[in-house]
Amino acid sequence: MLFDPKILRKLDRLALVASQVRAGVMKGERRSTKRGTSIEFADYRDYTRGDDLRRVDWNVYARLERPFIKLLEEEEDLAVHVLLDTSRSMDYGADDQHKLKYAQRLAAALSYIALVAGDRLTVSPLTPQRLTATDFFTARGRGQTLRLLKFLEGLSSGGLTEIDEALRAYAFAAKRPGLAFILTDLFSPSGYQTGLSHLLGRGYEVTLLHLLAPEELDPPLAGDLRLVDAETGHGQDITLDGGLRDLYRQRVLAWRSEVEAYCLKRRVHYLPITTDTPWDELVLYQLRQRRLVK
Amino acid sequence: MSFLTPLFLALLALAVPIIVLYMLKLRRREVEVSSTLLWQMLLRDREANAPWQKLKRNLLLFVQLLLLTALVLALARPFFWVQAIATGTVVVVLDASASMRATDLVPNRFEAARVAVQQLIDGLPAESQMTLILAGHQPEVLASATSDKTVLREALSRAATFAGPANWEAALALAAGAVRLGPVDNATTVIVSDGGLPSGLPALPGEVRYLPIGRASDNLALIALALRPAEGGPQLFAKVANYGDAERSVIVSFYEGEQLFSAQQVTVAPGKTGDVILTELPEAPAVYEARLSVLGADGQAIDAFPLDDRAWTVYQPPSAGRALLVSPGNVFLEQVLTALPGLTPFRSLPGAPIPTDPFDLYVFDGVISGTLPAADLLLINPSSNALFTVGAAFTNTHSVSVRPNDPLTRYLDWDAVHILRAFETETPAWARTLVQAEGGPLVFAGEVGGRRVAVVMFDLHDSDLPLQVTYPILMANLINYLAPAENFSAPDGLRPGDTLTIRPSGGDAVIGIQDPTGARFATATTEAGVLFAETYELGVYTVLSNQSLLGSFAVNLFDPAESNIRPVDVIRVGRSDVVATVREEQGQLEIWPWVAGVAFVLLLLEWWLYQRGATLPSMPGWRGFFSRKKMAEK
Repeated sequence: MLFDPKILRKLDRLALVASQVRAGVMKGERRSTKRGTSIEFADYRDYTRGDDLRRVDWNVYARLERPFIKLLEEEEDLAVHVLLDTSRSMDYGADDQHKLKYAQRLAAALSYIALVAGDRLTVSPLTPQRLTATDFFTARGRGQTLRLLKFLEGLSSGGLTEIDEALRAYAFAAKRPGLAFILTDLFSPSGYQTGLSHLLGRGYEVTLLHLLAPEELDPPLAGDLRLVDAETGHGQDITLDGGLRDLYRQRVLAWRSEVEAYCLKRRVHYLPITTDTPWDELVLYQLRQRRLVK
Repeated sequence: MSFLTPLFLALLALAVPIIVLYMLKLRRREVEVSSTLLWQMLLRDREANAPWQKLKRNLLLFVQLLLLTALVLALARPFFWVQAIATGTVVVVLDASASMRATDLVPNRFEAARVAVQQLIDGLPAESQMTLILAGHQPEVLASATSDKTVLREALSRAATFAGPANWEAALALAAGAVRLGPVDNATTVIVSDGGLPSGLPALPGEVRYLPIGRASDNLALIALALRPAEGGPQLFAKVANYGDAERSVIVSFYEGEQLFSAQQVTVAPGKTGDVILTELPEAPAVYEARLSVLGADGQAIDAFPLDDRAWTVYQPPSAGRALLVSPGNVFLEQVLTALPGLTPFRSLPGAPIPTDPFDLYVFDGVISGTLPAADLLLINPSSNALFTVGAAFTNTHSVSVRPNDPLTRYLDWDAVHILRAFETETPAWARTLVQAEGGPLVFAGEVGGRRVAVVMFDLHDSDLPLQVTYPILMANLINYLAPAENFSAPDGLRPGDTLTIRPSGGDAVIGIQDPTGARFATATTEAGVLFAETYELGVYTVLSNQSLLGSFAVNLFDPAESNIRPVDVIRVGRSDVVATVREEQGQLEIWPWVAGVAFVLLLLEWWLYQRGATLPSMPGWRGFFSRKKMAEK
């Protein structure tokens, strides 16, 4: 079980925020910039020939003897994409701080919020291969929650992820751009920048949730070591002493700053996450603080 | 630089396996991490920033190679050729006499001599041997014929000075013996001294060299301090000698105990002496001390030898024991009692009442009437009395045996003594027979009822004893036993190392002697007295018995040869003059201890470098907490 009913009730009250709203296909529970057919009043305008007479405000006509059309808010649904990095590098961290488990919980929370809000949700592992129907999850409506959780629990780590390639493939494959949450550790030799650009180019509003385990920030290692990359199997000989460990810590922080600066320039929401942060606190407070949910 | 054991340099080949071990790939522990991406970035950064990193990575190797080199060098025993005084079989005679305590060299001459000998040891070639002899009161072989410099240094560190003159004859005899241990033609005796050697020293085999120690001759010394009885009280006499080159004024202070009672200024010309006499001192027993204070114009002490600036003497007023002779008239007895020192004789006729005034000794000659007084008694030809009974006369006075090893029969020669007749008796249980004839005891003595009694069983007029040398000796022995003049007697003018005999009169089994430093010696007394030889310190020694003071005696330097600290350039040994030596031989100064020290420092450095590279981070706990917190703040 990824989370308990108590958390679910808290999540019920949340909704994802899309600052650059995208038009939906179906009617949803989200305000649209377009005028539509909901019951929320938006504005008046002069009647022109051809307008639907049912939308004339007869009360105003009785008072002013001029026909006005009542404009109502259009409510639409939102396409929410949750992209989960399931490469081997995510299979790291102890117990609750395991990166993939943490990412699954976080994806579940975000997805649940989207389902409850009636948004169109797509959950997909990040992979450059062409996905078959069973590889990803698409749903709408609260009723799909159980299916969602089952799908997420079924995800397992494995293989190598070239984030760039995976994002580019997804950007081309997905029919409807919307909010995209990318949950990854960004450990990708080819980088991530091109992939992000493709998503942005297709009109996605991207949030990058950068997950790192505490052991990756401050590795409890010393001595003459051969570090083996979990994804590539590539070995790196290193003699680790106090000075080098200090350098490493500085390097990680610098790397995060680099990513953050890149994201800031391209209006990508960036949130560095250490997996020892309680995930409910992250969703209920930190995401709210960043105005990613409300 | 050369090497004593150059074969050890071959061990430098051990560098090859060390380098090979480094070239072999280090066996590394494999650790799986999520990604090596950041590590690769980090290493790229580091190599770009610090081109000398490669060198640093091999620092441990360099240190290890240096360590190996230092160890191998130390094993090869490198040395430098230095100028040395002596090589081959070397016998060093180190002067430990009192004058070596002169402070004209810092801290004193003996320490300077120790440094000089240390240099001799340092420069001793590997194949040479050295014997170290300390010339003190009793010469001592500190180290015998060894080339082990550690042993020699350790032996040298044990050497200490003696407060009196050195026994040079015995020291040189030891040196001659040590020289003959090896080939004589390659032997050198080095005398390290400030001079002051007596004349007439025996010649030494092999070569003799002299290493003079000392610089200055400024010294004023007390060379005599004595008391003599005089009218109106004893006189104290002190003599001050100036061994320096300039006229000096000196203040001589006199103390009784710790109490200053007189001070006089004396001006002494160079090479001359000055006298100070104090008269009419009190008759009481006292310990007198004289001290010299020599100050230059600027208030600085200009006396380089403080040891002879103090002297002590002990005044013991002569005790006059009173003796009562009860005799019809015996010229032999009267003469001998008058002649013995420390005894004032009085005479009384037999039958006359004995004076109530107590005497120290009663001498009864002939018939005894009335009760015997409760004091020490000498009975000559007695009749029966309360102590023993006297029988008939006997003439069998030949075949005399004298009790051996008894202080009362010391120096007695009875062979020439003839006795016409004596009176029979049995030696009482409380007495011991001193002279036994066939017919019975002739002389016996012992203690009874808290008094000492000596008995002669014949009339002096019936023998030729009073005409023999034995007579005054016997009487002196007996009187000394019955009425000792003093608790003990010590000769005047004791010098350091002298032996004295203490004969306590009180019959104490154990006496204690406390020397000027406060050290105590306890000795069991014998009939012959106590032989005390631990007079190594200058000052006043006190003799105690059952915590009561028996008396004191003083030990003084009073040695012009030691007080004259003028350094000597030439000494005479045998028939040849030995002049001060210059360094002319090739010695070897080994430097391996320094190289070994460097190796040790390198070992510590290597350990530190290794530990610094392998320290495990302490992630749990407060340090980890703070490091995470700091990171979060960033």
